[in-house]
Amino acid sequence: MKGWLFYAGLAVICWGVVGLLQKLGTNRISSQSLMVWLLVGFALLLPWLWHGGDVLQINKQDAAIGLLSGVTNGLGSWFLFLALERGAKASIAVPLTALYPLVTIVFANLFLAERLTALQWVGIALAIIAAAMLSYETDSASAFASERSCV
Amino acid sequence: MQAQSLPQSLLAKQRKQSGAAAHVHEAASRRSTKSLRTPTWLVYALLCIFWWGTWGFLSKLGSDRVQPHQLQFLFTFGLIPPVIIACFQLGGKVETDLRGSLYGILNGVISGLGMLAFYAALAQGQASIVGPVTALFPLLTILLALMFLRERINRVQGAGMILALVAILILSL
Repeated sequence: MKGWLFYAGLAVICWGVVGLLQKLGTNRISSQSLMVWLLVGFALLLPWLWHGGDVLQINKQDAAIGLLSGVTNGLGSWFLFLALERGAKASIAVPLTALYPLVTIVFANLFLAERLTALQWVGIALAIIAAAMLSYETDSASAFASERSCV
Repeated sequence: MQAQSLPQSLLAKQRKQSGAAAHVHEAASRRSTKSLRTPTWLVYALLCIFWWGTWGFLSKLGSDRVQPHQLQFLFTFGLIPPVIIACFQLGGKVETDLRGSLYGILNGVISGLGMLAFYAALAQGQASIVGPVTALFPLLTILLALMFLRERINRVQGAGMILALVAILILSL
């Protein structure tokens, strides 16, 4: 198996479990509260990630990239939240936001000159469409599910 | 990512809202779709796509230069300002329901582990492929929800599952 595929699989497993826990968590607290606790969870990993402080040895530019990745990720979540506050239907907005890898692809092709085969383009297109479809939840189904899991 | 899985949390939040609130939301979306201008929510949703997409790109840049644990260390600090702003702007009082907050903390820990795997994947593969593949994580969420919450998989999701598997197969060639 290709190395990247193994690690991508691990990421999907972790984030897939997170998705389930989030369904359970937001039955009890609001999503903005959940986000604060989420940050606490991230912070719990810090001692383990410290590794004798080797992070202090990386150069300023690389450190800025790391910090900005956190900022941009948080901003994305914040705008999704705003969209839902401003009347977006979750069954439309959430699948729409699943299209975010498109932006990554544009940047990667512009700035990193990533080259892909025609077959890979087909796979990418299918994956992005699939992600949008997977995150489609009908509003009635959600209500039904929440009644069940609240018991 | 925590971030990517946030949609589910927001969805669940909407579920929780009272019928009255849902009605207001509907009215608001009707109003905004009726006007000729782009609806505000759509602008925000597109901004969400932009920032998450940029996050994926920055993760690739970082993964090519530094170790996953270093990147995740920095990521955590970078996330602090947006979380503070979001809480402040939304006037969100942090709820301390024991099980709810435990789920949240556990989410952070597992999300962080997922991030480390994401960076490791990006260090070896192209962002144009790793990005879309890892964005397929709802595949597992809906399967787990089927098993543990007895949520049903709707037709769109079912078709999405098949597409996802075909996509993974093609991209793993």
